[in-house]
Amino acid sequence: MATNVAGRRYRTWYAMLLRLYPRPFRERFGEGMAQTFHDVCREHRDAGRGLFGLALWIFFETSVGIVRENTTHIVRETTHMSQLGKTTLRVALGALVVLMVPLVASQVVEGWNWPPGAFVRVYVLFFGTGMAYALIARKMGAWSYKAGVAVALVAGFALGWSTMVQTADSGHPERLWYLSVLVVGFIGACLARLKAPGLAVTLFAMAATLALIAVMLPSGAPPDMARRMAIGHGVFVVLFTTSGLMFRHASFAGCRPGR
Amino acid sequence: MAKKNTAQAPLTPAVLHILLALSTGERHGYGIMKQAEADSQGRTKMGPGTLYGSMGRMMESGLIRESDKRVDPEMDDERRIYYELTDAGRAALEAELKRYRGVVAVAEGRLAHGH
Repeated sequence: MATNVAGRRYRTWYAMLLRLYPRPFRERFGEGMAQTFHDVCREHRDAGRGLFGLALWIFFETSVGIVRENTTHIVRETTHMSQLGKTTLRVALGALVVLMVPLVASQVVEGWNWPPGAFVRVYVLFFGTGMAYALIARKMGAWSYKAGVAVALVAGFALGWSTMVQTADSGHPERLWYLSVLVVGFIGACLARLKAPGLAVTLFAMAATLALIAVMLPSGAPPDMARRMAIGHGVFVVLFTTSGLMFRHASFAGCRPGR
Repeated sequence: MAKKNTAQAPLTPAVLHILLALSTGERHGYGIMKQAEADSQGRTKMGPGTLYGSMGRMMESGLIRESDKRVDPEMDDERRIYYELTDAGRAALEAELKRYRGVVAVAEGRLAHGH
C-alpha cells in the first residue's frame, strides 16, 4: 500500500520533470516516457523491491537527458536564426539590385521623376515580396509549390503596383477594388496555413474575384484602352490560375509544408 | 529533415541495443528497454532519458520509425506507441555487426600469434 502511494507520488514528480524537456521532444515522447517510467515502477513493485533507489536513478538519468536535449534544441534554434539572418541579407541585397532598374531609369528616361520617398516605398515592396517568397517557399521542397509561390507573388505584386499607379494617374478611386483580389489572397493563405491544397483554392478564388471585378466594374475608358485593359485582366487571371494549378500539383504530390 | 548516412559510423551502445531489440519485430519503449537488458545479460540498463533521447536521434536519422499505437496483450490495457526498424536501420545494424566481426578477427589473429 505504502509502495503504491510512493509510486503515484514518483509518477507525479516524474511528469513534472518531463516538462523541462524542449516542447517538440516533450510532445513527441513525453507520454511514452511517463508510461515507461510507470511500467518500470510497476515491475519493481511486483518484484517486492523498493522504489526509492530506482526513482532516484531514473530522475538523475532523465535530468542528464533534459540538459542534453535542451542544449541540442538551443544549438538548432541558433543555427536556424543565423540561416534566417543570411536569407534576410540576401533578399535585402537582391532588392537593392532590382531597385537599380528604376533608379538608373529615372536618370536616363525623360519624365521619370520619382521623389526619394517613392524609391523607399518601392524598395520596401521588393524586399517584402522577396522575403515572403523566401519564407513561404522554404516550407516545402516540391518545385511546383515554389513555382506556385513565385508566380502568385509576382502576379500579386504587379496587380497591386499597377492598381496604385492607375488609381493615382486616372483619379478613379473605384479601381482600388482590384486590391480586394490581394485581400482574398491574404485571407485565403492564412486560412490555408500555407498548405498546398488550400493555396490552390485561394489562387482560383483570386482569379475568379479578378474576373468578376473586371466584368462588373465599368472602365469608362475609350475602346482601345478598354481592349488593352481586358488583355491585362486576362493575363492576371491566367497567372493566378497557373499558380493555383501548381499548388494543386504540389498537393497531389502528397507534400505538406514542413516536409 | 535530411537523413544522415549512419551506416558506416560506429554506433553508440544504446543505439546498437535499440537496433538489436527491434531487429526481431516492433516493440514499445518498455519492451525495448527490457529486451536490451536481456540481450546484454543485464549489463546495459537504459533509463527513459537515454532510451527516448537515443530514439529521437535515430528517428531523425531514419533508422527507426513509429509503427502504431495499440495495447500490449501481455501488459495492462493502456495503449502504447510501438517502434520498428527501417531499411536504413537494418543496414546500419548489419554494417555494425560486420565491423564487430572484423575487429574480432583482427584481435583473435593477434592473440593467436602472441601465444
